[in-house]
Amino acid sequence: MQTVADVLRRLTIVFTAFEGRLEQTPLIRKLTRGRFELEDYRAFLVGLRQQVKDGALWMSRAASNIDEAHLELRSRLMRHAVTEHRDFRLLEADYVATGGALSAITGAPKNIGSEALSAWMFHEASKPNPFGLLGAMWIIEGLGSIKAAEWGRLAKERLSLPDAAVHFLLYHGENDTTHITEFEEMLGLVLPDDAVAARIVRAAEVTARLYALQIEEMAS
Amino acid sequence: MLRDVFITGCGRFLPGEPIANDRMEEHLGQIHGRPSLLGRRALRWNGIQTRHYALNDRGHEFESNAGMCAKSVRAALDAAGLSVKDLSFLATATTQGDYLVPGHATAVHGALGERSMEIASFQSVCGSSLMAAKSAWLNVGAGEHNVAAACAGELSSRWFRPAFYEGTALVDQKGRARAEADFLRFTLSDGAGTVIMEPQPRRDGLSLRVEFVDIVSFADRFDPCMWAGAPIETRGDLATGWGAGGPRAAHAAGAIALLQDFTLLKRVIRAWVGAYLEKVDCKRIVPAAVDWLLCHYSAQSLREEIVSLLEKTEGMVPQQKWFSNLAWVGNVGSASIWLMLEEFWRSGRLQRGQKVLCVVPESGRALIGFMLLEAV
Repeated sequence: MQTVADVLRRLTIVFTAFEGRLEQTPLIRKLTRGRFELEDYRAFLVGLRQQVKDGALWMSRAASNIDEAHLELRSRLMRHAVTEHRDFRLLEADYVATGGALSAITGAPKNIGSEALSAWMFHEASKPNPFGLLGAMWIIEGLGSIKAAEWGRLAKERLSLPDAAVHFLLYHGENDTTHITEFEEMLGLVLPDDAVAARIVRAAEVTARLYALQIEEMAS
Repeated sequence: MLRDVFITGCGRFLPGEPIANDRMEEHLGQIHGRPSLLGRRALRWNGIQTRHYALNDRGHEFESNAGMCAKSVRAALDAAGLSVKDLSFLATATTQGDYLVPGHATAVHGALGERSMEIASFQSVCGSSLMAAKSAWLNVGAGEHNVAAACAGELSSRWFRPAFYEGTALVDQKGRARAEADFLRFTLSDGAGTVIMEPQPRRDGLSLRVEFVDIVSFADRFDPCMWAGAPIETRGDLATGWGAGGPRAAHAAGAIALLQDFTLLKRVIRAWVGAYLEKVDCKRIVPAAVDWLLCHYSAQSLREEIVSLLEKTEGMVPQQKWFSNLAWVGNVGSASIWLMLEEFWRSGRLQRGQKVLCVVPESGRALIGFMLLEAV
């Protein structure tokens, strides 16, 4: 039987492979090699906004499909959705602080990767007891707690941006062990169960691939 | 594999007296005669107390890399009850050999003398040790050779002398070295280590049966993290490397010194953790069955969240099972794992039937190697 530790291990492996894939996307390569321009940063904010905006929505939908036997998980997802559902406004404020027009970010269409990612999330969240989405959360939360601040620091340094223009990346995530402990507790609410374990890992793999596609599709 | 392979002897060579932290910078020579800004922080982080240099305090080399390697090969053969006459295969590892050309194994073989033999040179960073070990293991296992040596040596200190930095883009107008250049001066030092492999265990005392050597590279996704031969900003673009403007221009651009990118190192550490957990997940490595862990990276340097993650994923080998001599021998790059194994073996801790896992992460361009041994 797959335990919480087994699933966390598989998820960690998926995340590190995902990080390797991100590392090879053109936009992140520009950022880490110091060739990142203001237009790249703006494209990045525009690209991220779609997924951040949808995040709380699919999470709410997932919560509404969780049965009474798993009320605690439902509560946690709902609280999570409430905490995050206005975060895309931070991205808009950052965009404006770079000198961009608000309408340019609010009116931008989803890129191909964002379309795929969003469709997949809502599809998965519409199933009864969509526990696989914990795998999706692992990837997206991992980005927030591990990658965001790193990208924010590089972008700020490279483009000499004021704090007000990197608020989302720099101050949104927090990298500490309590983050993993909370996630571990959520896994404990649905595991051990082999079918659920496999679905969580699979959902993490699909989310990671589509997220990377979203970043591949971001171009200034 | 056609036959089992055993490590039957281990040898080391460390040049000169141990040099303590309060003397090391003076020993290497201060850049523009000024003390380093981040030296103390680097020493706190790596936990090294003493190390050895093959340079005297006037900057003269009293050993060569190849010479130290040859001495460690002789010590290892001696420990195995053999001599150079018995050795038919020599695989060498180093980060930077004495010559730029030909390969390091030729220089070590030259220093050993006595007989002709087959050789192989492996050049990378710390992980080159396991590349050489894998070559020795496969050669003995396949029946090509009956006595093989895998040796590794470094003479990093010659690259840390002030002339490698002064007058280059790595030093600012106030005479201060960039962190990418300065940090390694406080981290790496000199020495050599060797293991001998044979197709049968020793008749007296313990031998270590080699279960596997696995090496995983992530150079497909990362730029170099520790390198020499390209300036910091443009290292991903080989067309602007050391050869573009000739040797003087390369020196001025800071393309000759050994450099480390710390921001990238954090991402590389996560890739190492992923590679390790993948071995755990497919049961290639079973942490609960590991009696001793020799890791060329101190447990103290791993950040709290990494240790916590390893514990939560049942991947952590408890810290009381870790053996390390980095603190008093120094970080000797590729030689470190053999220096650790040699001292561990001598310490008398090892019991028959125990499993020893050697882990060698290399920041170079993100690589990690694993070697599992069983005491027989």
